[in-house]
Amino acid sequence: MNGDVIQLVVQVDDLIPRGTRMNVFESIYWVFIALGTLVGIIVIGYMTYSAYRYRSTGDHAADGDDDRPYLGELPTGGGKGRKLFLSFALSAVVVISLIVWTYGTLLYVESPVSAQEADEELEIQVVGQQFAWEFIYPNGESSFELHVPADQRVRLVVTSDDVFHNFGIPALRAKTDAIPGQTTETWFIAEQPGEYQAHCYELCGAGHSGMNAKVVVMEPSAYEEWYASMGENASGNGSGDASGENATATPTAGNGTNASGTASTNASENTS
Amino acid sequence: MNTRLYTVIYGVLFVFATLQVAVEFAGLDYWTAFGVIMALSAVKALLVAAYFQHLRYEPRAITYVVTIGLVAALALTLAAAYSITGT
Amino acid sequence: MSDDTTPRETDGGHATADLPATGDHVHESSHEHGLPPMESIRRWFVTTNHKDVGILYVVTALFFLVFGGVLALLIRVQLLEPGGTILTDAAYNQAVSSHGLLMVFWFLSPFAFGFANYVVPLQIGAKDLAFPRLNALSYWLYLFSGVLFGISFFQGGTFSGGWTMYAPLNVPIYMPNIGATTAILALLMFTASVTVGSVNFLTTIHRMRAPGLTLRRMPLFTWTILLTVWMMLFAFAALLAALIILSSDRILGTVYFAATDAGGSVLWAHLFWFFGHPEVYIVFFPALGAMAEIFQTFTGRRIVGRKWFIAAMVLVALQSFLVWMHHMFLTSINLPVKTLFMATTIGISLPFDLMVFALIYTTIKGRIRFKTPFLFAFGALALFILGGITGVFLGAVVLDFEFRGTYWVVAHFHYVMVGGVTGLVGAIYYWYPKMTGRMYDEFLGKVHFGMYFVGFNLVYFPMFLAWETPRRVFDYPAVFQPWHQLATAGAFLLGASFLVMFYNFYVSLVSGEEAAGDPWRYVTTAEWAVPSPPPLENYPGRPSYDGGSLQFLEDMGPRPSGIAAADGSGETRSDGGVAAVDGALTGESHEESHASIWPFGISVAGFLVLLGLSGLPSGATLYVTLTVAGFGLGLYTLVGMARESQTFHGPSGPFGESWPFARVENTKLGMWFFLASDVVLFGAFIGAYVFIRVAFGWSAWEIVPHDPIPGLMNTYILLTSSFAVVLAMVAAQKGSRNGLVVSLLVTLLLGVGFLGNKGIEWYELYHEGQWLSTSVETSTYFLTTGLHAAHVIVGLVIVCYMLVRAWGGAYLDDDRPVEYFGLYWHFVDIVWLFLFPLFYIL
Ligand SMILES: [Cu+2]
Ligand SMILES: [Cu+2]
Repeated sequence: MNGDVIQLVVQVDDLIPRGTRMNVFESIYWVFIALGTLVGIIVIGYMTYSAYRYRSTGDHAADGDDDRPYLGELPTGGGKGRKLFLSFALSAVVVISLIVWTYGTLLYVESPVSAQEADEELEIQVVGQQFAWEFIYPNGESSFELHVPADQRVRLVVTSDDVFHNFGIPALRAKTDAIPGQTTETWFIAEQPGEYQAHCYELCGAGHSGMNAKVVVMEPSAYEEWYASMGENASGNGSGDASGENATATPTAGNGTNASGTASTNASENTS
Repeated sequence: MNTRLYTVIYGVLFVFATLQVAVEFAGLDYWTAFGVIMALSAVKALLVAAYFQHLRYEPRAITYVVTIGLVAALALTLAAAYSITGT
Repeated sequence: MSDDTTPRETDGGHATADLPATGDHVHESSHEHGLPPMESIRRWFVTTNHKDVGILYVVTALFFLVFGGVLALLIRVQLLEPGGTILTDAAYNQAVSSHGLLMVFWFLSPFAFGFANYVVPLQIGAKDLAFPRLNALSYWLYLFSGVLFGISFFQGGTFSGGWTMYAPLNVPIYMPNIGATTAILALLMFTASVTVGSVNFLTTIHRMRAPGLTLRRMPLFTWTILLTVWMMLFAFAALLAALIILSSDRILGTVYFAATDAGGSVLWAHLFWFFGHPEVYIVFFPALGAMAEIFQTFTGRRIVGRKWFIAAMVLVALQSFLVWMHHMFLTSINLPVKTLFMATTIGISLPFDLMVFALIYTTIKGRIRFKTPFLFAFGALALFILGGITGVFLGAVVLDFEFRGTYWVVAHFHYVMVGGVTGLVGAIYYWYPKMTGRMYDEFLGKVHFGMYFVGFNLVYFPMFLAWETPRRVFDYPAVFQPWHQLATAGAFLLGASFLVMFYNFYVSLVSGEEAAGDPWRYVTTAEWAVPSPPPLENYPGRPSYDGGSLQFLEDMGPRPSGIAAADGSGETRSDGGVAAVDGALTGESHEESHASIWPFGISVAGFLVLLGLSGLPSGATLYVTLTVAGFGLGLYTLVGMARESQTFHGPSGPFGESWPFARVENTKLGMWFFLASDVVLFGAFIGAYVFIRVAFGWSAWEIVPHDPIPGLMNTYILLTSSFAVVLAMVAAQKGSRNGLVVSLLVTLLLGVGFLGNKGIEWYELYHEGQWLSTSVETSTYFLTTGLHAAHVIVGLVIVCYMLVRAWGGAYLDDDRPVEYFGLYWHFVDIVWLFLFPLFYIL
């Protein structure tokens, strides 16, 4: 149903921000901030100026005296309809074009890669629980810290074990709801190795304020090493209920053995 | 008011209710049966509203008020149910 | 849209059959129709007068403002440093949740409805609301719902899942305290208050306008209230459905929201936001209306593009029901739905641009006086513009993804919502002289505005700068600390500014300068044409706009023809003839009554029932006793109020403009409005069922009843009972007492039979181990058909009452109560016509 829109968007393809989630967000955010500030200053400036100009103690106070409202009159609209519509049309054009512009980016963010390319993604299951995040890797091992390689697209398949949470890594601009019984997805590419924080963005109980997780972006080689050693790290292996069933069908997602398989067929889309 | 008209409508309602269950046992394809049964319910509801609640004889505005409520509820039902289907 | 196009069935001849002219107006100044004097405490418990109720609303709402405000200050103190400690984790969540709930529900709308109560009847030329006792009932339900909410703090802590109450955190496994249940029941009671209020205002504004005051000529404040109550009628019905289901999950043990594999968690989000987005406008519209009135008065200009302003608001009100999923962009909803709701969201923002520009252009060629009301209205506009601009950010889905759950959202909606509060504070200064008869102190008013405006921006603007702080979190990244400290300082300044207001109002009440009827100049609306405060009967005569502007006509003689004569126009405004039929049918003329204790009594009963229900799962004797006592008192007071109906008289016609309901009498119209909201209530229940079943897998779903035959039997029974009610009405019209009694008796027996049949069915299911909490299938089956059965029971109680009265010969000269009961009963029948196939066959 979005075919026409997509067509239209493709023509202005060059204007649409792409790249990492950070790039996308930054370019749109700053355009909005700039325009928003400008519009805010103009509109509030104008209304203040106009109110001051026609203050009752000023020079222009008598300008409209031939036609003041009186008690008990039946209301009629004042004039200046043309000006009103002009301003309205202008604002509508600005708002609609902004949204159409960002819609192209939405389509990109929703499906950044073709199905074939999806093979190269790293898919990690994220399970929210009061009050921690568990990350389950393709090898079936799990950890309470998110380790990812730099410069690789990471796809998060997010769900919850108990209540409604929301998983977000602000610095990497990845965020999605963690809903019990449902899975949602988000993705990111981290360019800079380093440590980041993930937070919970939906009130989920007494420990909500502290429901954070450490996100470690590693050089690809370091990541490979870490990934290979995962099984040995007993403390990181949080989930004991790994079984043979399809990971995408179980809300607990306690299993990652065939997670990479589902990623390539894109079957996990269907559960959402 | 016309008692005979009311009686006829009552009879029709009675028959339609019976038909609904008959359709269930008629062995139709599920969604066909679904359509027929819900359509019968809708007709019954319309009859009750139009004659027993005499909406037919009230200003149309009242029908609109109730219809707005109905449309709102349908919008909620359909959009919510559609939103969780896969694309 | 003018009334002139409405078909009118009446003529002068009909109208002369009006109430016989009586000398009732002789009494007008000598006594207050059974109402104790203002100074008496008793008056405030029994009053049903719209102006009294308006004052009660305003004062009570201000109390809840302080309540919610103190909680806000606690939150801000906790946020002074990351990981603040003056509140525990659990207490912080309670403070956040109850702050939101109190401000949105118990402060904002009731505050606006205080003014609506006071001003709307005056603006449209009515002596009171259509149903004065129901108006008092709205107030008392509101007050006691607030008391109930207060009590919830002492029952192991109140609700702590945020004002959005997301599932499944809201169910007992995650939130077991009784107080959480009480808070939800308090909100349920508040919803009842709102529904009663919307029905009342809808009937009043549609039916009771002065002659010549067509809808398009109606003052803007009344317009905004009209649209607000329209939205309330439907939006709060959806909330009611959500709250009933949630209460049932908490008290009866159904598993709607815990059934996460069947979409329970997302179901809550749908139901809540279907209500929640219209709620934004429900809260904001009255403020917008007040701002429009204040702008016109203090600029001395008529609003620019008035009809477009109104059209824009109508558009927003309609569209508000089609944007709710923009709160769910990060849930699992699919891309087409995201696209659709992004489009509708942007669509709904555009009419606001027009409204803002209209207000701004109204200042041109003005003679602007910067009095306190104008300062607040003007400030509100500026704040709303900022709120609107930051809202466009959220309309861009890609940005929304990142803003979700952060302080950007917090800052944005406070700019909008508290922007609305700013407009309403303007309103209280604007109407204070009218309501009290005294002027407030202008200097203190300006001081209040200065502190308020600075405080407001100091508390909310830094939130944009620290927007990356997760919402409802007190352990935030340390880099944001300076902004949060600024915000806390601003919060205290904002809070302190209200102390100035309270002081100002208190002192002015005692020693303020006396206010004239019109203390402002350039006002246009009718409330300023009467003394401040207005007398009990509002007007010196019958207000009419037929002559092209407001006039008070002699209040004697046959009215409609009197009006035609008085304004000398050829056009006959004889809509009054319809209302004259109302009067003629009751066969008596009457003066209005203003005192009734029953609304208070019913609310106490409701309070006891709900308080009892909150702890019922615990089985404690106290709670059981409260429930039983509450039901007993409820029955007693309801019967008391029904009996009083024979002697209590609200405003009677003839009214002037009643488009588009000229031929429908007030009570019947009220019944239809109520039924329309009930349509949404059941619609939301059926919607919940469909949603859960789709999420569960439509064909994997097991129908609970084993075979459809008992359901079919019940369908026959209900259809027959509907027919019996029709016969009862016919009998009453024919004046046949026996026919009436027998028909009602048959209705009663059939209704009991329906319940008995249902009881047997439930009993058998119960013994097979199928009960409320067995599965999501049984939950939806028992609760939805149970809600329907509850409607049947209510109907049967009414039938019993009517039977007793019919036995005594009632309804033969006036069959309308039988007819109106029939409307309800047939509606219950119609609902069953859909529940039967959905729950028994398909
Ligand atoms: Cu959380
Ligand atoms: Cu919204």
